Amino acid sequence: MEKGLTVRKIVIAGVLGAIAILLGVTRLGSIPVPTAAGNATIMHIPTVIGGIMGGWGVGLVIGLIFGVSSFLNATIPLFKDPLVAILPRLFIGITAYLTYVGLKNVNQYLAIGAAGFIGSITNTVLVLFMAVVRGYFAPGVAVTVAIANGIPEAIVSVIITLAVVAAWMKLGSAGKKKSRISG
Amino acid sequence: MSQPLLQVKGLRHTYMRGTPLEHTALHGVDMYANKGECVAIIGHTGSGKSTLIQHFNGLQLPESGQVVIDGVDLSQPKLNVKELRKKVGLVFQNPEDQLFEKLVGDDVAYGPFKQGLPLEQVVEQVKWAMELVGLSFEEMKDRATYALSGGQKRKVALAGVLALRPKILVLDEPTAGLDPKSRKELLERIRYLNRQEQLTVIFVSHNMEEVAYLADRVYVMAGGCVVCSGTPREIFGNRSVLEEHQAGAPETVEILYRLYDRGFDVKPDAFLVEEAAQEILSVLPGIRR
Amino acid sequence: MAGEFELTRNITIGQYLPTGSVIHRLDPRYKLAAYVIIVIAIAMCSSYLGNLVALAFCLWLFWQSRIPIHYGISGIKPAVPFIIILGVLQLLFYGGIATGGTVYFEYAFVKITSASIKLVIVSAVRFVEIIFISSVLTLSTSTTQLTHGMERLLSPLEKVKFPVHTFAVVITIAVRFVPTFAMEMEKMMKAQASRGAEFGTGEWWRIVKRTKDMFPIIIPLFNVAMTRAEDLILAMEARCYTPGAARSAYNHYRAAARDYAALAVGILAALILLIVPDPL
Repeated sequence: MEKGLTVRKIVIAGVLGAIAILLGVTRLGSIPVPTAAGNATIMHIPTVIGGIMGGWGVGLVIGLIFGVSSFLNATIPLFKDPLVAILPRLFIGITAYLTYVGLKNVNQYLAIGAAGFIGSITNTVLVLFMAVVRGYFAPGVAVTVAIANGIPEAIVSVIITLAVVAAWMKLGSAGKKKSRISG
Repeated sequence: MSQPLLQVKGLRHTYMRGTPLEHTALHGVDMYANKGECVAIIGHTGSGKSTLIQHFNGLQLPESGQVVIDGVDLSQPKLNVKELRKKVGLVFQNPEDQLFEKLVGDDVAYGPFKQGLPLEQVVEQVKWAMELVGLSFEEMKDRATYALSGGQKRKVALAGVLALRPKILVLDEPTAGLDPKSRKELLERIRYLNRQEQLTVIFVSHNMEEVAYLADRVYVMAGGCVVCSGTPREIFGNRSVLEEHQAGAPETVEILYRLYDRGFDVKPDAFLVEEAAQEILSVLPGIRR
Repeated sequence: MAGEFELTRNITIGQYLPTGSVIHRLDPRYKLAAYVIIVIAIAMCSSYLGNLVALAFCLWLFWQSRIPIHYGISGIKPAVPFIIILGVLQLLFYGGIATGGTVYFEYAFVKITSASIKLVIVSAVRFVEIIFISSVLTLSTSTTQLTHGMERLLSPLEKVKFPVHTFAVVITIAVRFVPTFAMEMEKMMKAQASRGAEFGTGEWWRIVKRTKDMFPIIIPLFNVAMTRAEDLILAMEARCYTPGAARSAYNHYRAAARDYAALAVGILAALILLIVPDPL
């Protein structure tokens, strides 16, 4: 990250933070796909996108906003514990950023998709790890949830991150140059 | 024309019912629209216009009162909302925001595909809709949506609704925020749809020139009620209503009222530009003398 | 059905409820500091007696702030099913791990001990306490006050080059844009529904399809955010906003005796929770 936070980074962190809060307080924040919880959360995706677009600092700040908002809005005991709700979320943007930077010279799409995947996995693993540490879940339960919830969530995260970031970076559509109705 | 295509009787709507933030947006609204008509709804921000038009395709359902559209009563318990939304196409403010596909053709085709139509028919409807709003199907269908101008994006969004082949087209401030050229073009397209394609059009507007240009009839709303309705001529000729509800009038009418106030013998309800010009010409010799 | 799209209307983060009580009038810096200390103490307190004290303390706070208790209770209601499920899970599977305590019941992998029962009760009560105390904080402090308070509290971190002010600006922007985006989102949901969109239909196992079903809302939402961001960047740069530059503040807080007292009460309560003996 070059010389601290620029106006651009501040504003991007702000608007993505707003989306993170918004997804947390509406039902749009989860997609009904088969997981242990019955749906996959997409609330961490603004944080992932922030990490990719603005660097680790932006990702960290959005992660904090996401964490505090999920702590304040929590309706399940697990997330009324700041150590579970806030701390793990700080790392989502950072791992997403590192993944993106590490792979972007290989292929942009691969880098964005992988960042979406790793960011999501970071969320799942660290939250469940803290849940075990704090005594909410037994390790066996946590591993089951990690697989049943984490994998679908990571897939969802890859799809959405790719779509949003590709649109923002105006990458155009990969390989798809004709609309479906062009026969 | 025994039964109007759209009929609203005594419609009430309350937001956040049962909470401290309860707020009644509609207090018993009556209105109708006949097939092939173009109806304008005018009124201040917060007068209930947007809430009213959201009842037309079932985004809001009547709390009390009646909404009947093409023989379908929206109060019935087993309402098929999807069928209703095929009949009524609703275009929101700044509809260009809703584009989400990368390619123009895909975005216009979203609605028809959602209806489960076969590919050939989707293509046909998309083509029809795009040509109607003035976008060349062959040229535009594979363009990227983000590279379009604001006016073009709005046309794409309008085509996306028209591609559903609705019987009634409802528009919320269709020209807000457009440059003058795009605005003029869009108004001409809407007029064409209404007059030539016999599409029933209902639109909300703050721009009285638009209302004068398009509307057969006008409803003036204030505080969740229809306070006045009639032809543009009746509305613009009724100065007390215009002033009471600060509804404004086309510039032609404003000029004629000012002349009238100075004692000139003009008919202020001559809102069409040619008529207004005639009225002004008729009193011009008086000035010369 | 009629309320299908009204979910996003009137979103509030924290619902400030002005009653003019002592708690409302506290300096946000001290209030926030006391809050953080107590929440950490509650999170670390795992004795029956300590949690009883904490619960009583929370109720006392409600009374002091003149906020009706039902505001706190309404935060718990939706959580009841989760508390029960989590409780059952902990009860069934935690016995083998939480060592010590008396074994009450053992069958196959199920092992219920006094330690696992304690875990269940304490985590449920702890949850209620945190809901209560957070409700008191957000109901008695406006968002602006919270942001200011946090900025001042973190200001010592400027010394280690942590951009505290910048951070506060980010939060202000985020909070400012939530209602705007909520309205955009509501409009988007309605507009796409008008085009025949349906959300969450299709076979439940088709993850990709179900995700793509959300595109008509998610993609425009992010696009609108980006457009707004570009406008704001331009506006801020046009006014020569410089990140990290020295700035003066419009609001000045001066701590009074009651603010020191509040902090002292917070620290005292936290200490009690941490050192209270655990007879079980």
